Amino acid sequence: MNTSFLLRRLGYGLLLMLGVVVLNFLLIRLAPGDPALVIAGEMGGATQEMLDSIREEYGLNKPVAVQLLLYIGNVLQGDLGESFFFNQPVSSLIAQRVLPTILLVITAQVLSIVIGVVLGVLAARKPNGVMSAFVSVFATIGYAVPVFWTGIMLVILFASIFPIFPVEGMQSVKLRDASGLVKALDILHHLVLPAFTLAVIYLAQYARLSRASMLEVLGSDYIRTARAKGASPRSVLFKHALRNAALPILTVAGLQFGNLISGALLVETVFNWPGMGRLAFESILRRDYPTIMGVLFFASGMVVVANILTDMSYRLADPRLRGKG
Amino acid sequence: MNSLLEIEDLRVTFNTRYGEVTALDSVSLHVKEGETLGVVGESGCGKSITALSVMGLIPTPPGRIAEGAIRLNGEDLTQASEKRMQALRGGEMAMIFQEPMTSLNPVFTVGDQIAEAIMLHQKVDAAQARRDAVALLDRVGIPSPDVRAGDFPHQLSGGMRQRVMIAMAVSCRPKVLIADEPTTALDVTVQAQIFDLLNEIQREFGSAIILITHDMGAISEMADRVAVMYAGRVIEEARADDVLDYPQHPYARGLISCIPALGKDAGGAGDMLAEIPGVVPPLHKLGAGCAFADRCAHQAPRCAVDKPLLAAHGHHPVACHGVEEGWL
Repeated sequence: MNTSFLLRRLGYGLLLMLGVVVLNFLLIRLAPGDPALVIAGEMGGATQEMLDSIREEYGLNKPVAVQLLLYIGNVLQGDLGESFFFNQPVSSLIAQRVLPTILLVITAQVLSIVIGVVLGVLAARKPNGVMSAFVSVFATIGYAVPVFWTGIMLVILFASIFPIFPVEGMQSVKLRDASGLVKALDILHHLVLPAFTLAVIYLAQYARLSRASMLEVLGSDYIRTARAKGASPRSVLFKHALRNAALPILTVAGLQFGNLISGALLVETVFNWPGMGRLAFESILRRDYPTIMGVLFFASGMVVVANILTDMSYRLADPRLRGKG
Repeated sequence: MNSLLEIEDLRVTFNTRYGEVTALDSVSLHVKEGETLGVVGESGCGKSITALSVMGLIPTPPGRIAEGAIRLNGEDLTQASEKRMQALRGGEMAMIFQEPMTSLNPVFTVGDQIAEAIMLHQKVDAAQARRDAVALLDRVGIPSPDVRAGDFPHQLSGGMRQRVMIAMAVSCRPKVLIADEPTTALDVTVQAQIFDLLNEIQREFGSAIILITHDMGAISEMADRVAVMYAGRVIEEARADDVLDYPQHPYARGLISCIPALGKDAGGAGDMLAEIPGVVPPLHKLGAGCAFADRCAHQAPRCAVDKPLLAAHGHHPVACHGVEEGWL
């Protein structure tokens, strides 16, 4: 891995995030709704003076360009502003929510890749077999079904018919003060449904992608070479073929990470998961500009980091890319 | 001496959208220890299918060995279990492929790929396999082999990659080495080096080599005996010198007249290179007669209806009515 490549990617990433900050700022102000009205509404009513003083307090009376420059200046200093609604710094709001989201997103990512790839590989072994047909049908359904629908169906299924997994929150109230293993198991128990819901759509995609990728690789000359030297079918499939078929899967995994985070917003809302997605959802409803922008800024940072990691792992997986810019 | 490898009346069929077609029909070949058998013919005549049948690498389905036997040291490979074939492949028999550029796995170093072949068939640890791999790279003429062993295939030239393929194939001293057009993708000077290397390795290991090629020049350089194949059948078989000097089948004569001759001034600078008109017929369109009849300048009425069988006619075994009846 060369350092100049990494530094350049980090540089691009920072530029990209600056772009995200500007775009978020402008988009939110283009959307209808006035935070001053919402805040005043929460306080029980609005006179013109009240609205003016709220605007004054939050700097909403300044021209948009000035607000933007002030905001960028603050972000560069690491200050994401103060929430209109929670009266807390946005950074500490995010800090409270970030771990549950990362836990959910990473679990879903790992689940979808591992299960998806295994299904895809098994399907590719016999392209006309039952498993292959199952993967194709499952992939089409998984692709077509919206994530909130899967979530709601699972809530219905596990809330009323098979109540074996919790459908709400991240921890049981009675175990809130438990520690160590009990707490970890409780969180895992709560994680099952949200993670599966989020994983299912991507799982289907990975299954289909790895099936196609494996089929292509299995037809190549070096697979014949591997068989000709006496490698076992398992070694041919999982060592010789999968290492090569993994390259497009890695690419897609990196690209999907952003979608996964936006999917997490819906899943967190459905399952009342205390993460950043729900914070974003609530903040949008409340026109809480600093919080929305902070969450989006942080999420885009996660996507940028995920993409850099993808590029790096891509280079590890494919020796032909090493030493190239 | 008995034959090391014997192919007897082999018939291989493939299920295609045209129905079941016969890719190999009544193919019988044999090769002894230390001998090189050349198998020649155009693309699509069944050379590679013959090789893949021996290795047990026919894609099944759609392919299947319908009849016949392939005996290695007397053991019938068509009856062997997949487990047994795995042990034989790369051990007792090995294969070198046509495309060195794509036949090595791009994500593993060449040293690892050779070491893997060694560890699959010999009881050695990884470090020993690695040392053996480096020694093999040295043996096939790769400079600074200990460094090159850590290279990935894309870092090597085509000729180097074919040397790696050869090193991998001979890593377990196979009794039978099948080389399927090993030099087609390489330039001429490299071709000569690869043939020299194969000859050396044969002398050193005593392997039997089956050299599949459409290059008659390669045959004259390498082969002791030659089988000429056409449309899934062996149509002429003899010692290499006999086939090269006295080709009997019109197809074999055509192949040999296609060899460009240096200095042999037949018609001056404007001389055209000879060619055989037409192409190998698709397998599903093979009729009852001689498969070559439509391209043959000497076609007789019998050729269209009666399939000639390989038998000793004239100088050596050939499958041609013309030779059999003496009008050719």
